[in-house]
Amino acid sequence: MNRLKALMVREYWENRGAFRTTPLVIGGIYVVVFLMGIFTFGYFDNEFHTLKEAIQFIAQKTNPGDRAFAIQMGLMFNSFLFTLVLAIVVFFYLLGSLYDDRKDRSILWWKSLPASDTLTLASKLLSAMFVVPVFFFVVYVLTMLALTIISSIVVLTLGENPWTLFLGLTNPFKPLGMLLASYLAMAFWALPLYGWLMFVSAVSPRIPLLFALVPPAVFAVLQIWIDFLRTFTLKTNLGGLIWNWFANSPLIISGGEHNGNVGAALGIPITDDFDHAVTIGNMLDRLFSVDMLMGLLLAAVFLAAALWLRHRATDN
Amino acid sequence: MTNVIEARGLTKRYGKYKAVDSIDLEVPAGRIVGLIGPNGAGKTSALKAILGLTNFEGELKVLGKDPSRDRAALMEDVCFIADVAVLPRWARVWQLLEFTEKIHPRFRREKCEAYLKTTKVRMDHRVKQLSKGMVAQLHLAIVMAIDVRLLVLDEPTLGLDILYRKQFYTNLLNDYFDEQRSILITTHQVEEVEHILSDLVFIQEGKIALDCTMDDVQERYIELMATPETIEAARALNPLFERVLFGRHIFLYENADRAKLSALGELHTPSVADLFVATMSNGGEA
Repeated sequence: MNRLKALMVREYWENRGAFRTTPLVIGGIYVVVFLMGIFTFGYFDNEFHTLKEAIQFIAQKTNPGDRAFAIQMGLMFNSFLFTLVLAIVVFFYLLGSLYDDRKDRSILWWKSLPASDTLTLASKLLSAMFVVPVFFFVVYVLTMLALTIISSIVVLTLGENPWTLFLGLTNPFKPLGMLLASYLAMAFWALPLYGWLMFVSAVSPRIPLLFALVPPAVFAVLQIWIDFLRTFTLKTNLGGLIWNWFANSPLIISGGEHNGNVGAALGIPITDDFDHAVTIGNMLDRLFSVDMLMGLLLAAVFLAAALWLRHRATDN
Repeated sequence: MTNVIEARGLTKRYGKYKAVDSIDLEVPAGRIVGLIGPNGAGKTSALKAILGLTNFEGELKVLGKDPSRDRAALMEDVCFIADVAVLPRWARVWQLLEFTEKIHPRFRREKCEAYLKTTKVRMDHRVKQLSKGMVAQLHLAIVMAIDVRLLVLDEPTLGLDILYRKQFYTNLLNDYFDEQRSILITTHQVEEVEHILSDLVFIQEGKIALDCTMDDVQERYIELMATPETIEAARALNPLFERVLFGRHIFLYENADRAKLSALGELHTPSVADLFVATMSNGGEA
């Protein structure tokens, strides 16, 4: 257990830029863009409605229930950039996880220590599944906190009460909790992809990105072509399968009207395999589905292959 | 006392090519063994098998364990320096120390820090900021602070200047080696290690060409520097190898009659390098 912890700390040390600095930079961008927005509005105060008038309008003409709903949705949708970059960070982290130390030969150092290959692999997978998403989530929460403080100060200086305007309207922990839950659910839902990336990372002689993308692409194109030759139709293929998997994912990445409710949605609500409304129940439905079981089997195959390769891996 | 390393018919194939071809090897405790051979002779392949870094055929036990199955457990009692440039470049010195402390039950951090104090390596240095020599010092400092039973060094001083190389072996011998420990060194810079070795193993084309103690070398081999008049007589005594240096003919003999030879010219013990050249030129039939 202590060794696993030490190995995960090691992963953090090596990837501090990706794990910690990247979300901090995005958070910084949010704050800067938000401040720029306020100043822009202030700059045009004499020509259009003033910021003060706008806030008065919101305070007097909108209904607190609508504002509460908008805040709930905002707290989920604002995460979009964080989620997108998180996916990119995890993708490249895993792609390099079993490749970089073979390339720079430091694998000979790591393997001179009494940490098993299984534990090493586990530390990398667990970092991708939990450590990185939690880092991104925490920085996201801090960013939203900063924006809330800035908004409150602006509203206060313009003579309105931030508590009745937005602060006291809704419990922010519910949408934020949903976001964290969706990140954690995605950690499992994405296991087949993570397994594939680690397998590619362990097997690639060089340029793992190419080995990760080209074989599935070639496979999908061949599938489409052969299917077309046989039936003159374009039916499901690997590309469609991956797209479906993504559309069914428990990640909050889209919105729209669903089951009569307008709001955030899990995955992309174009399939009927699962309910896309953002609830813990719907996330669990995905994790305890036959699809997930197949995904886990696939992930197990990839990870076992990665482990086998890691066991034999040296510096060349 | 059981042997630290025991190999029977150890073979490593790459496709059809046998990098290591059915070698038998025994390394008892408390020895410093030099595994010496030309480039591509199979030294590194043999070491990788011993360290559990590759699969192999044949029987191999290191400290009673099968390295290909129990690498992680084995590494509690075995340490290796593969070559100077393998410490992760992104890491800071204190991170390497802290990580090793958490992972390795036999690592004594104070000892490592005390040793590093005598060098220019500082705790907040990144490995990539260090010179090659300093990286080697750092690696040696970590390894010397780990109490293991077998230390494997694969070309440990490659690319280092002469000062660092001397220092490296001096530290190893003075501060590290004792009767409980064994050291296995591969190198093709023979002159550098010959004074510290207790045992000599020559490897050529995957096979063992010579396996003896340094004491044996002194007893078994003798070099004769013949005078111009005695060259023919010297040749008649079945030398293993003949070479010419500054016009003098030098003959190497195995188990020769010293009294007879001393009549023909000056005698001395051959250097490991000369013995190596002789053995390799004779196709391993020493």
